[in-house]
Amino acid sequence: MDLGVGALPALNSVGHVAHCRRCLDGLPASLVEMDASRMAIAFYCLGTLDLTGSAERKISTTDRENWTEWIWAQYVGKPLRSRQRFIRLTPRLRRRLSLGSVRGPSTDGPHLIMTYCALLALAVLRDDYAALDRPALARMVGACQDADGGFATTPGAGDADLRMTYCAFVVCALLDDWSCIDLARALSYIHRCRSYEGGYGQTPRGESLGGPTYCALAALHLVPAEHARTPRARLQPVEWRATVRWLLQTQSGGGFAGRTNKVPDACYGFWCGAALSILGAGDLLDAHALGAFLARCQYKFGGISKAPGEHPDPYHTYLSIAAAAIVSPDPKWELQPLDPLINATLDTARWAKTHVRVTAPES
Amino acid sequence: MSAPTADDTTEHVFYAERPEWADVVPVVQYENIQPLAPIFYSPEYKDATDYFRGVVKIGEKSLRVLQLTETIIRLNPAHYSAWQYRYETLIAISAPLQPELVLSNTLTKASPKTYQVWHHRRLLLTALGDPAPELAFNEEVLKADAKNYHTWSHRQWLLAHFDQENLWADELPFIDGLLEDDVRNNSAWHHRFFVSFERGSNDDKDEAEAIVKRELAFAKEKIALAPNNSSAWNYLRGILDHSRVPYSTQAIFARQYIVDTVEPRGNDILDLENPPPSEGAELPCAAAIEFMADVHEASGNEGISEAVELWRSLADTHDTIRKRYWEYRIRNAVATTGKA
Repeated sequence: MDLGVGALPALNSVGHVAHCRRCLDGLPASLVEMDASRMAIAFYCLGTLDLTGSAERKISTTDRENWTEWIWAQYVGKPLRSRQRFIRLTPRLRRRLSLGSVRGPSTDGPHLIMTYCALLALAVLRDDYAALDRPALARMVGACQDADGGFATTPGAGDADLRMTYCAFVVCALLDDWSCIDLARALSYIHRCRSYEGGYGQTPRGESLGGPTYCALAALHLVPAEHARTPRARLQPVEWRATVRWLLQTQSGGGFAGRTNKVPDACYGFWCGAALSILGAGDLLDAHALGAFLARCQYKFGGISKAPGEHPDPYHTYLSIAAAAIVSPDPKWELQPLDPLINATLDTARWAKTHVRVTAPES
Repeated sequence: MSAPTADDTTEHVFYAERPEWADVVPVVQYENIQPLAPIFYSPEYKDATDYFRGVVKIGEKSLRVLQLTETIIRLNPAHYSAWQYRYETLIAISAPLQPELVLSNTLTKASPKTYQVWHHRRLLLTALGDPAPELAFNEEVLKADAKNYHTWSHRQWLLAHFDQENLWADELPFIDGLLEDDVRNNSAWHHRFFVSFERGSNDDKDEAEAIVKRELAFAKEKIALAPNNSSAWNYLRGILDHSRVPYSTQAIFARQYIVDTVEPRGNDILDLENPPPSEGAELPCAAAIEFMADVHEASGNEGISEAVELWRSLADTHDTIRKRYWEYRIRNAVATTGKA
């Protein structure tokens, strides 16, 4: 039997792009809790433009220049305290920003998740990373690693969870440098987050949850072949079976729930769908049912919400579209193919891989 | 010494208008002409964060910094730098941490889904070294949301980090209560697994076996009450996987749940090891069919055709959303054994 019964509603790409454009232009004061994660919002919004094939058309040269400048302005040049001295301000960046000495736009220290988001946002904007101090970036990632193998948001913060392990592994993959972290310990940390249900918890001993399960599996599969023999670098067959089973079990009513017995939420279409895709089991989920659920989460004026009838936001908009890009419930949705490990379109992921690892000539 | 509070019941005075802050030069946030996703900050937030940047710039750590960071945290509990600087200030000026924990109670209850409030609490508890009252507080937060991931993580951290007998003592009755309220609360099931099997300090083989027996009985009793409960079935599987006990040991139990209707109960003695489905239970139970198929598959060649039949019924009737998965299981089993 063909599961693709009945045509899916259209994907309102124009509306979703408009929603993201609005968010890029400004957010109301009520969203002040997003203040420290504006880079993530930028990543989701630019990513939505990219996945819908609108990045070229909808971003003017002026926007591109201004946004790129803003992102680089968040690059931590001047450390708050000596222990946070990992990213050095290069003379080239100094010139580029024409500020003489940069005082960061806020007092925030460097943050591993925001670093990941910034690198990918810059890739969408096709920046050349000329201002990036690669050795300093590698040191920063290494400095975030704790003795138990986990990664903190900022060095010494002690708030490790799998989100930062994933971000650290992406940065290592983009830099093509795994020497800056203790890989064996990092893999052991990932393994300790595995739960009896087959998924991964946010931290060791945690309940199986879709987001961390994606982070764990993507991280494992980012480890290059030459390190694949490091213990725990890949799932054992018995683990693979349990994880695929658990991930598929969370599909309920079309969408995916983040945990057993929870209601579906659009974002888990990505976290669970991409995790299955990474495991080579993407064809085992019900793509049509997922597409139908995501379509119902579309807000009438653009944007996608976590569940039907809720208000949209960039996070759920991007992840829903990214999920659809992976499982392709309907070819008419016309989305760019996604790299499930880096979480960017194939072109953008390729751009990031090519340009982050190249050391810029000293100027 | 007690920190002045920035309680929002008092009228807000901008830091720019407070004489005692006149010596600090506020630092405005740099934004170029077209920042990405700018937030239209409230005047209170802008004022406080301008002064925060000013304070950080000169590296001041003082009592008034506690007041300032509290203002910011109340406006934006996800401001990780304000939290971080606040904690460093508390330590630098040797501020008493007990009142800080009391303040944290309020802030945690107000924003239980924010990472930073829990992380701050963890730092305080580590420094204070007195975990006992924390379980009661945690329970209070769970009352408002029994599935809050942060609250549960925090509880698990507390138990594992301090690893004190008195902390572990009442965990099972506590979970019993939560599962009586909602037998599908997967967080409670997960916590039960953690408490029963992941404590790590148990080397006694006999005791370990007794725990497995006790937990199998518990899971089966809960399945009997509400068979269509993935949490309980996952728990049952988890115990068996963890203790390397074959699924076939539970076949008599599971088989009662793959029939179409509850079999009428005679006057014969109830098999306590294998509780039957409660009257009115919705049968057949997909999780039981999956379980029995696994039992048959593990039994080798002769079991495969029975397993295939069960997977077929899941694919076509009882769990159609996972049709592709059940068909994959059929293909996989047939390919492995060469038998349909």
